Amino acid sequence: MRRFSACSIAMLLSAVPMTAPAANAALSTDDDAQWQMPARDYAGTRFSPLAQITADNATRLHPVWTFSTGVLAGHEGQPLVVGDTMYVVTPWPNVLYAFDLTKEGYPLRWKYRPDVSANAIGVSCCDTVNRGAFYADGKIIYNLLDGHTVAVDAKTGHELWKTQIADVGSGETVTMAPLVVKGRVIVGASGGEFGIYGWTKGLDLKTGSVVWTAHNIGPDADMLAKPGDFKPPYDSGADLGVHSWPPDRWRTGGAPVWGWISYDPGLGLIYYGTGNAGPYNAEERPGDNKWTASVLARRPEDGTLVWAYQFTPHDSWDFDAAGAMVLADLTVAGKPVKALVHFDKNGFAYTLDRTTGRLLVAEPFVKVNWAKSIDLKTGRPVIDPDKQTGASKGTVKDICPCLEGGVSPASPPAYSPRTHLFYTSTNNLCMDYGSTRASYLKGTPFMGINSPYSVGPGGYLGTFLAWDAATGKKVWENKEAFPNWSGALVTGGDVAFYGTLDGWFKSVDARTGKVLSKFKVGSGVVGNPMTYRGPDGKQYVAVYAGIGGDWLLLAGDVRSDDPTDVRAPADYVKDIARHTSQGGMIWIFGL
Amino acid sequence: MNAHTPRHANPNISMWRTLPLVCLALSACGQHVASPAGNNAPAPPPAVAYEAHVAAGGFVPPGGSLHNPHEGDAAVAKSGATLFTAMNCDGCHGPDASGAVGPNLGDGRWRYGGADPEVFMSIYYGRPKGMPAFGGALGADGVWTLVTYLRSLKVPENVPTESWGHP
Repeated sequence: MRRFSACSIAMLLSAVPMTAPAANAALSTDDDAQWQMPARDYAGTRFSPLAQITADNATRLHPVWTFSTGVLAGHEGQPLVVGDTMYVVTPWPNVLYAFDLTKEGYPLRWKYRPDVSANAIGVSCCDTVNRGAFYADGKIIYNLLDGHTVAVDAKTGHELWKTQIADVGSGETVTMAPLVVKGRVIVGASGGEFGIYGWTKGLDLKTGSVVWTAHNIGPDADMLAKPGDFKPPYDSGADLGVHSWPPDRWRTGGAPVWGWISYDPGLGLIYYGTGNAGPYNAEERPGDNKWTASVLARRPEDGTLVWAYQFTPHDSWDFDAAGAMVLADLTVAGKPVKALVHFDKNGFAYTLDRTTGRLLVAEPFVKVNWAKSIDLKTGRPVIDPDKQTGASKGTVKDICPCLEGGVSPASPPAYSPRTHLFYTSTNNLCMDYGSTRASYLKGTPFMGINSPYSVGPGGYLGTFLAWDAATGKKVWENKEAFPNWSGALVTGGDVAFYGTLDGWFKSVDARTGKVLSKFKVGSGVVGNPMTYRGPDGKQYVAVYAGIGGDWLLLAGDVRSDDPTDVRAPADYVKDIARHTSQGGMIWIFGL
Repeated sequence: MNAHTPRHANPNISMWRTLPLVCLALSACGQHVASPAGNNAPAPPPAVAYEAHVAAGGFVPPGGSLHNPHEGDAAVAKSGATLFTAMNCDGCHGPDASGAVGPNLGDGRWRYGGADPEVFMSIYYGRPKGMPAFGGALGADGVWTLVTYLRSLKVPENVPTESWGHP
């Protein structure tokens, strides 16, 4: 089978008809129609070549089907469509639904209801979310909040294997979307707020057994960083994951993996980001704290670390780098580059050479004041010393962006090889950051932070924007009334899609940002739209409604069960509960 | 309702289970600082009567009685506030126990009962939807210190209604 990555497609002339990234042996061979992995392709582009829905006809988009998931928590992630079946994973208790798209009303073929320990709820920092499943080898593979990975027969719904990968008692939960490649299921754990010793694992696709475990911090031996193989572009020396910490602090240093993984078949590398360093009080861990807030490139077969680049050395602002690493072949300064593009919590959008990890472009995509710029020669941020935080400094005022990020890592961008633009949600928020000494008590939060937010300049709270990653420039931007928390989708019809926190689902012209359609979906959108062609030959767009994730914490007054949540942390979005409340729904739109 | 004792509830057994705990709770008086479990770890307390539960048939099962040795003690409540942060309670329940991923503990609404013994049991043994058991790390007196703090929080007025003005 020919394997195209979307990035290699991008190198073809735009006049050549698009070929879908064919990543898996599907139940159907019509790959254009399908969405088999979290970002649709290994490059992480969330681009579909389907082109029935265009900027001319998208005004006719209307809902054609809905389904309540029966779960109230934040509905991050996205459905899969494989053949004529749609698969949906809910937040805890992580039900897997399989809908028959060939029948009127899309009745269930089956549902799989794993026994997921409720104890995991208490070690979930930020709601009991799940970021989706992956289809491979006839299996639907996804993670359970209580630290398990399961493989379910895509046809029958029967459990094929279940492996414990994480330890809830140590503060580890699993919310991320797995990636399957070369017979390995790549997974990682959340727990940056619980002092975990962050890791990534490779499981055997057939049996689920753990083949390799690679820590993201700590000694080279634990990190699978081998002499001759590991070549970080800006650092040298052994055991960087130990020497960039005070003695033993790496053991509780965080570096969780809670987002997305991408893969370049040409280079044979997987790419993923790591979360924040723990605890939040940076004065307890002098040093760069490698490799927290970083992107790591590994070989999927055995986990070997090939390169790593740290976006935020000595993370002092909870700037996780867990967001998507999107692979695209770009022309930067006149030269063709195999690029990796990442919109970081810290407010900078990075364009890297994904072969070496060297930095090519780094420009702010939202208001940024913690650093003046990123030095392209050293790869390091030029930090404003007035914005350095720490317990001895008390509350450091007015830092932009806030720790929710210029964009949340939960909100992955999209890339169109037709427009050569990236599309992302953003937050326009700043913060005061008051850190305090934290005490490590296994299984409880290891944080030490009080960080109220404020509205960034301009008065709006979020945007959806188009970005030229070759030059680091914004092309267009739609301002939104609330922080924007959905992922992005862009299609061969040059239409981009996103949802808003107050519950609007929008289609926009991918070239101009002009809103083509919008519909109120009942609850705020923190999930990621996807598109497919149904058995009836028509293109559809699906998205979850269901506010939650960090918004369970920050705007708790959208909860249905907690009436006194109109409290200080939510003051800046006090009005959100006027427009939405909790509720998990799947929506499908058509022409 | 007639005073009727269900067959399974043997008052003698119940009393026997209750005694050691009450003694422990009392003996811990005056010890306001949390002590990690170890040599002085107290024996686990018995079940308490849950005032909020519906009793089938109206037959309230007999339970032990727990007494908060620091009930209403403002100084203990203050050290409980410190302990609330030191034990990372604020990481889930938010600063001032006003709620985050864990529920608000200052709104007068309780999932598992809001009387002192019920709050004690929630902290000591944990609860099934994610509340860790702190009894082993804190000991009985540490837990009572937290209970005293939480019970000292002033419940805000007009909790049920959130309003955005009138047309």
